[in-house]
Amino acid sequence: MYAAWTVKHKPKSLAEVVGNKEAIQKFVDWIKSWDKGVPKQRAVFLYGPPGIGKTVSVEAVGNDYRLEFIEKNASDYRTEDAVRRFAGLASQYRSLFGGKRIILFDELDGLTGTADKGGVAAITDIVKNAQCPIVLIANNAYDPRFTSLRNYCLLIEFKKPAASEVLKHLNRICTHEDIQADENALKFIAQRSEGDVRSAVNDLQALAQGKKKLTYEDVSWLSYRDRQNTIFNVLRMIIYGRTCVGAKQAMDMVDVDVDMLFEWLYENVPAHLTDPSDLATAMNSLSMADVYRGRIRSTQNWSLTRYVIDYMTAGVAMARKNTKSSGWIPFKFPTRIQMLSRSKAERNMRLSIGRKIKRKCHMSAVRASKEVIPYLKIIFKNNEEMAAGTAKWLDLDAEMIEYLAGTSDKADAINKLLVAKS
Amino acid sequence: MLHGRLAQTLSFEMWAEKYRPKTLDDMVNQKEIVERLKSFAKSRNVPHCIFAGPPGTGKTTAALCLARDFYGDVYREHIMELNASDERGIDVVRETVKTFARVRSVGEIPFRIMILDEADNMTSDAQQALRRTMERYTETCRFILCANYSGKIIEPIQSRCAPFRFMFLPREEQDKYLKCIAEKENVKLLKDGLEAIFEVCSGDLRKAINNLQAAASLNKPVDSKVVYSIAGRANPADVRKMIEVAMKGDFLEARKQLREMIQKYGVAGSDIIRQIHTEIFRAEIPEPWKIKLADVVGEIDYRLVEGADEEVQLSALLARLVEAGNDLGKTS
Repeated sequence: MYAAWTVKHKPKSLAEVVGNKEAIQKFVDWIKSWDKGVPKQRAVFLYGPPGIGKTVSVEAVGNDYRLEFIEKNASDYRTEDAVRRFAGLASQYRSLFGGKRIILFDELDGLTGTADKGGVAAITDIVKNAQCPIVLIANNAYDPRFTSLRNYCLLIEFKKPAASEVLKHLNRICTHEDIQADENALKFIAQRSEGDVRSAVNDLQALAQGKKKLTYEDVSWLSYRDRQNTIFNVLRMIIYGRTCVGAKQAMDMVDVDVDMLFEWLYENVPAHLTDPSDLATAMNSLSMADVYRGRIRSTQNWSLTRYVIDYMTAGVAMARKNTKSSGWIPFKFPTRIQMLSRSKAERNMRLSIGRKIKRKCHMSAVRASKEVIPYLKIIFKNNEEMAAGTAKWLDLDAEMIEYLAGTSDKADAINKLLVAKS
Repeated sequence: MLHGRLAQTLSFEMWAEKYRPKTLDDMVNQKEIVERLKSFAKSRNVPHCIFAGPPGTGKTTAALCLARDFYGDVYREHIMELNASDERGIDVVRETVKTFARVRSVGEIPFRIMILDEADNMTSDAQQALRRTMERYTETCRFILCANYSGKIIEPIQSRCAPFRFMFLPREEQDKYLKCIAEKENVKLLKDGLEAIFEVCSGDLRKAINNLQAAASLNKPVDSKVVYSIAGRANPADVRKMIEVAMKGDFLEARKQLREMIQKYGVAGSDIIRQIHTEIFRAEIPEPWKIKLADVVGEIDYRLVEGADEEVQLSALLARLVEAGNDLGKTS
């Protein structure tokens, strides 16, 4: 049965939580202060970047001190009314089942302006009059929306744990899962996660689940997780995919245009599949995907798209046979399209010069553009007189002269010779 | 003083045109072909012809000279030059060619001459359309098809034409030409410069003359160093170089060159693949490999015909060349 390791190996007690010892201690002290009556600050505001254990710490504290949690997170509606109904009730009664009760508002960043109208104001009201501990969690406590709310809270910052602490956690998971892992491999995952324990555990699971051993080679291709550009994850899933199904699933991960993804792959495959025969296989797959695109264009039969996808995902993934991982290789933005529009103007210029040459030299404009223009360029750069005479003979306009001369200074000099004549 | 110098620079004909032979008598090379063409001129009649051969060997020149010998200095009124690289579709044949071909020539010679340059770039549709036109209007129009590869011309047209094979100019003849131009243009052409031009242009006279003129524009004696630097700068779209880069294993650089050829220089994918096909048989690779690679080229050519993206298809071919180069490296 599949279970996310982030859930399966979630710390059950504070001792297991990764890092942030100080912050947690502060939090525990505040909880304990409720034993002596309602403290000055009736809520704590835990904040810090994602995946570093804010929610996990709260839950661990709950386990250790046998507290009862009532939680609202982004998946619940949090309009003014909804918040009051939920929290109003809960905060009035200090203890229903004998144990202490804590109200938790998680993922406060996720409060939206319209759907959760009046939510922050309602929470602020509740905090002011709370009879039980209230815990607020958000990534950014200094969001302007929380300005007034902040005044009533004890702010506790959670920081990114050091890579060494993340590493300890990963080691523990590997022991539980009975996986022999290279120290270097885990270190790499830990460092790469930049303190995001959750993503580190996710990566570990993606790489190691079902294996007995995890080597440095298995992980070294991972690049720094880019949350904005999920396209990178898609590319990674395809180029480093081990199964056809896995590679094909990459398409579902993100709403990306098939043609655009094709360009990303076409740009990046060569750098990631360096073995010549792997590369040839992968490029052939892209070539076949492209053939199917052509067939779709000519038949308008869009159901053929599935074969485009087969070739560009599974086809590329299966190409990897001999290529050794060589550490982190960055993904590049596809340059072909940019270059196409840039070079279009130049191509048109060359063709119009080619047409001028054609009129005089008995050759096609295309051929002239390829075979004569390079020589003209040399002449125009080096010999103004010869250039002016040739320009006159070919009847070139000022723009063409400037293109051939390369710089406007040279073009001016040539034009001066031309104008003086007429 | 200034005025005098400007008057001199007024309209400067490019040398490749300036020194193009005007009549068949002026043509010193391709002797056998010229003799046969002269006999056509004498008898005031000419069949449809195919002039096949590598670039810069005098195909277009021979056609123009023949026309001049037929019609005199006003030959331009009696001929039409069409370039299949620029106008390769069937519409051109149905309209432009047909309109020209069916109008009777005024003058003592009852037919006009249509010169179809770079005819191997015509689509096969257009060639099919041409075949009927050639037959129907034989009385009023004779066709001269110039092509690098006669094999790209469909059989029915070939069988209606007298074939002429143009050869690369031998070394002495090219040297003679270039020396003559250099003398008239006051260019100091050194012996090793001459050798270098031959090595770089290998018998393609137009390229050789362009090279000489570009070298002369530097206003210094033309030696091998100058020639090589010119040639290096003037051949950005060099298929052979691209193949070499690929075979050496630098796929990304080869793809970059390919991209430039297509995007910047507007070279058609079909032209590139044809050149690759030719180069493979010239390249220094073991014989059995050549046919293996030809098969790959053919497959990619077919995919191109199916309407796929030129750069994607050709770069798949480059990847194969990288693979081939790698395998060769292992075995040798």
